[in-house]
Amino acid sequence: MIVLGSTSEIAQAFVEKALQEGERFERIYLFTSNKETTERFARHIDVKFLQQSEIIELDLTKEINYQNFDSVNSSLLFCATGYLGDGTEEGLYDNKNTEKIIDINYSKLVPVINYFAQKFESRRSGTIIGLSSVAGDRGRQSNFIYGSAKAAFTAYLSGLRNYLFEKKVHVLTVKPGFMATKMTEGLPLNPKLTANPKQAAECIYKAFKKQKNVTYVLPIWGVIMMIIRNIPEFIFKKLKL
Amino acid sequence: MKPNFTQKVTNWGNFPIVEKEMRSEDSFKKIKEFVLSHNEVIARGNGRCYGDASLGENIFSSKKLNKFISFDRINGIIECESGVLLSEVLEISVPQGYFLYVTPGTKFISIGGAIASDVHGKNHHSEGCFSEYVTEFKLMTENGDVITCSREHNTDKFWSTIGGMGLTGIILSAKFKLKNIETAYIRQESIKADNLDEIFRLFEESESWTYTVAWIDCLQKGQNIGRSILMRGEHAFRHELAENEAKSPLVLKKKFSPTVPFYFPNFVLNALTVKLFNFLYYKKQSKKEIKNFVDYETFFYPLDFVNDWNKIYGKSGFIQYQMVIPKETGKEGMKRILETIANSGNGSFLAVLKLFGENNTDAYNSFPFEGYTLALDFKVNSKLKQLVDQLDHIVQEFGGRIYLTKDSMSRSSLTDYLKNVNSSKFVSLQHKRILNNK
Ligand SMILES: Cc1cc2nc3c(=O)[nH]c(=O)nc-3n(C[C@H](O)[C@H](O)[C@H](O)COP(=O)(O)OP(=O)(O)OC[C@H]3O[C@@H](n4cnc5c(N)ncnc54)[C@H](O)[C@@H]3O)c2cc1C
Repeated sequence: MIVLGSTSEIAQAFVEKALQEGERFERIYLFTSNKETTERFARHIDVKFLQQSEIIELDLTKEINYQNFDSVNSSLLFCATGYLGDGTEEGLYDNKNTEKIIDINYSKLVPVINYFAQKFESRRSGTIIGLSSVAGDRGRQSNFIYGSAKAAFTAYLSGLRNYLFEKKVHVLTVKPGFMATKMTEGLPLNPKLTANPKQAAECIYKAFKKQKNVTYVLPIWGVIMMIIRNIPEFIFKKLKL
Repeated sequence: MKPNFTQKVTNWGNFPIVEKEMRSEDSFKKIKEFVLSHNEVIARGNGRCYGDASLGENIFSSKKLNKFISFDRINGIIECESGVLLSEVLEISVPQGYFLYVTPGTKFISIGGAIASDVHGKNHHSEGCFSEYVTEFKLMTENGDVITCSREHNTDKFWSTIGGMGLTGIILSAKFKLKNIETAYIRQESIKADNLDEIFRLFEESESWTYTVAWIDCLQKGQNIGRSILMRGEHAFRHELAENEAKSPLVLKKKFSPTVPFYFPNFVLNALTVKLFNFLYYKKQSKKEIKNFVDYETFFYPLDFVNDWNKIYGKSGFIQYQMVIPKETGKEGMKRILETIANSGNGSFLAVLKLFGENNTDAYNSFPFEGYTLALDFKVNSKLKQLVDQLDHIVQEFGGRIYLTKDSMSRSSLTDYLKNVNSSKFVSLQHKRILNNK
């Protein structure tokens, strides 16, 4: 299994869920920009499940050396890489912030996934799971830089799914709504609309097993986003969302 | 939106409820920043202490310190971060033939909480407290330094932290020994006792059993005072089990656990329902003595079967009153306590009696000492403070004391027994309350 964004609590919960369900991998490749946190996780799954793993540094804000990934092979890729950055109010006109959001969520990430997609394609098997976001379903004034990068990522995953279908590789797009994770700690989230990483992992694992195409972590988000997508633009632009 | 870490926080008894800052971090560097940037900090595990022990101005939650570090499967020594729950340890250790040496009546507590309260179980008389099996732990002190404490290194901090209620620093990780088991089952005997004399005799007769505990019907009066059921148990050997269980003796079937969906309204739990519960509980066992085999969850954690059961006590919450009274006068003291409760009409759903063995004198901040301990749940209502005061009076008279991890309103003369924990940085609401009431 290949994990991009290994410090993500959702990614870690997914790995644990899969292992709990009895899945075993020759090796789990933990890609990360934070070695310390990832080492803790690597030891943890070794103690808990006797699962071997290998940590590989990946910093999307830096030059990427693909040769380091040569030996990485698997039939499952889980991508949880993401960066929220500052919202529009604090960060819109800060170009560094904007670039970083776009790089990590889309522009620098896509070539990395493509690199592995090619390996999957040539083996004619496997699943790619990508965490996108409900923020990508429609641009809203509060965080549309992040939202637009996620929208691009959603479109990429959808196209990739279409492209790889004939090649027997499946692509699953996951759209978590509010999540109780490090990213959102301290924000006033409505508990009824907020899932924890464990819940997310269960939902994603199910969707993975059923070969679903797109899944919202909490079903309610499917409904909310359908409504939000369908509000006419002349009304939408006046809303404070 | 800027994050705001202030939130409503409360422990298992839902009393008191406070609005304070609570943060969780998983890197030592960030934890250090948190410690250094606040005047008053207290650690919190899973909030299973009942009262105000893990509440403070700025709460550090160990929730994210949730990783295992190592497991020596040959010698049964495990190391994990302090936020790991006992339930998570059991999940991996039981299938490997290892059990916790000491466990409280719930498995949903953290390792940090187990050390800070130096928890005891049904085997205190035979195997002591949790700390007996802790070989070392890492502690973050006031200036953010991380020190390793054991019986050989930083001995002072090792012993003051054990039972020290978080007042010496933040426990980051710990290493502890596990005990070998052949099966996940317990050979159990339950014996009915008609009154206090009988239950005390049963306790003393059962001293050779590893686990003993009794459930008391605490609404009985006169002749029937102390009516109870004693339970004693031993880890079962494989050859003792029925064929079905013996096939995979370390694996339990998955069970359904219901959740209490909301706070029960106030009228649900009144003197009458408590009486009925205790009556039924006692009558459920029609025979004088039952011998059987039960899985470890049923034996150690009967209450964990229902998630969020604390909600049945309603929004105003409840307290647990746990005291220990020296053995010599234990019977007399318990009698006075039970009489007082019966007369107050303020019934307790749950009343657990246990005989503690000798204490480890090195672990000077641990609550247990040789004697009888009783733990009772009471719903918070307008009459409770008065009852607690009456009970405190008796405990004081008999030279007993109160378990800090369950305390939220007892008099400070019964809870002010910690030593070497004076820090201006690590301060809990409980500690302040105790110092202010002195
Ligand atoms: C149903 C039930 C049954 C119980 N049965 C028993 C029993 O049989 N025997 C028994 O002894 N206890 C029993 N308890 C009490 C429980 O075991 C203790 O209160 C335990 O300390 C709770 O652990 P926690 O992780 O929830 O910690 P908290 O409740 O969050 O904290 C408890 C104390 O530990 C400190 N602490 C927590 N984490 C750390 C850390 N990382 N570093 C430093 N200090 C820390 C806190 O400051 C606080 O003083 C029971 C509780 C319940 C709810």
